[in-house]
Amino acid sequence: MIVGDLKPLEEIISAIKDYKQVLVLGCGSCVTVCLSGGEKEAEQLSHELSQMQHYKGTPPQFEVGSILRQCERDLVLEYQNIPDGTEAVLSLACGAGVQTLADALEPLPVIPALNTTFLGASDKPGTWTEKCKGCGDCILIHTGGICPIARCAKSLFNGPCGGSKGGYCEVGQGIPCAWAQIVARLKKMDKLHCYEEIHASKNWKPGGAAGLRRRVRTGLGEGSGNR
Amino acid sequence: MSYFRVNENCDGCLACVENCPASALGCDDQDDRRTLKHNMTKCARCGQCWRVCPQNAIEFQHLLVGQWDKVITLDLIHCRVCGEPLYSPAYRQKVESKLNSASEALCPRHRQSYAASLWPRSGAGRAK
Repeated sequence: MIVGDLKPLEEIISAIKDYKQVLVLGCGSCVTVCLSGGEKEAEQLSHELSQMQHYKGTPPQFEVGSILRQCERDLVLEYQNIPDGTEAVLSLACGAGVQTLADALEPLPVIPALNTTFLGASDKPGTWTEKCKGCGDCILIHTGGICPIARCAKSLFNGPCGGSKGGYCEVGQGIPCAWAQIVARLKKMDKLHCYEEIHASKNWKPGGAAGLRRRVRTGLGEGSGNR
Repeated sequence: MSYFRVNENCDGCLACVENCPASALGCDDQDDRRTLKHNMTKCARCGQCWRVCPQNAIEFQHLLVGQWDKVITLDLIHCRVCGEPLYSPAYRQKVESKLNSASEALCPRHRQSYAASLWPRSGAGRAK
């Protein structure tokens, strides 16, 4: 799932301070699960932003809302009520949600409250770590289900570097060496020979190097009605 | 509680069933009757049914905002001074077994004043 972190408060304040009425909108999907941008966080943020001490003049008026997924343009247009007088939307969604809102609501400004960081998973309650870089050409079959592109600091393809010590990455912060993990995993699977297989150089085009990526699945129709 | 609701425009064409990515919609055809069914646990609320319905019959808003369903109702013990809700009898038993003592049914505020009242008053009690 997509993980993000709330932006520093000062940055958010400087973005919204000149508006008189702001809708603070949470998203009910990924950012709710990683406790960054759900309805609760939207309410907490709105409460904090209402404090007078953050502003020279009057704080904006805040309304709080949340929708299941901000990244679905037609759902947003149909079901998200924007209160009259709203001058800007402060979105707690990931970048996909912020941009969908911006497209759907233009020219109303949509301001991001989160820094979207990575595609990740929860290792234990409260900890999410990066797992996937979306390279578009998955090699997990060769690495025992551990991605060196996402989980090796240097995205190495051929094994650990000299900085791998005791199973940890020289970058520190308790980050395990992805290649140490891969070798251990392949051993457990009795597939250590995979480690020695030679593969062609990676094509990075599917990874975004050739421009924005899209998925098209035909046969879904245009939708009906006036949406 | 029904989250997936259709209005009177539904004509049973089954476009929604055919197009549901999560297989959360189904259909029972029995005798002269067709019944559309929905499985909330499979539903991803992706909106594909709503988009594909040629009759605009799906009231998707009920999948976004809905009523609360009761889960369980237990007996409740209240603070014997102010009536603030405290815990269920089962929870009280758990607390008592961990503390190895009976617990007074008191809220944090009244528990404090009760504990204070157990101390001897200054001037009273033992030697001065």
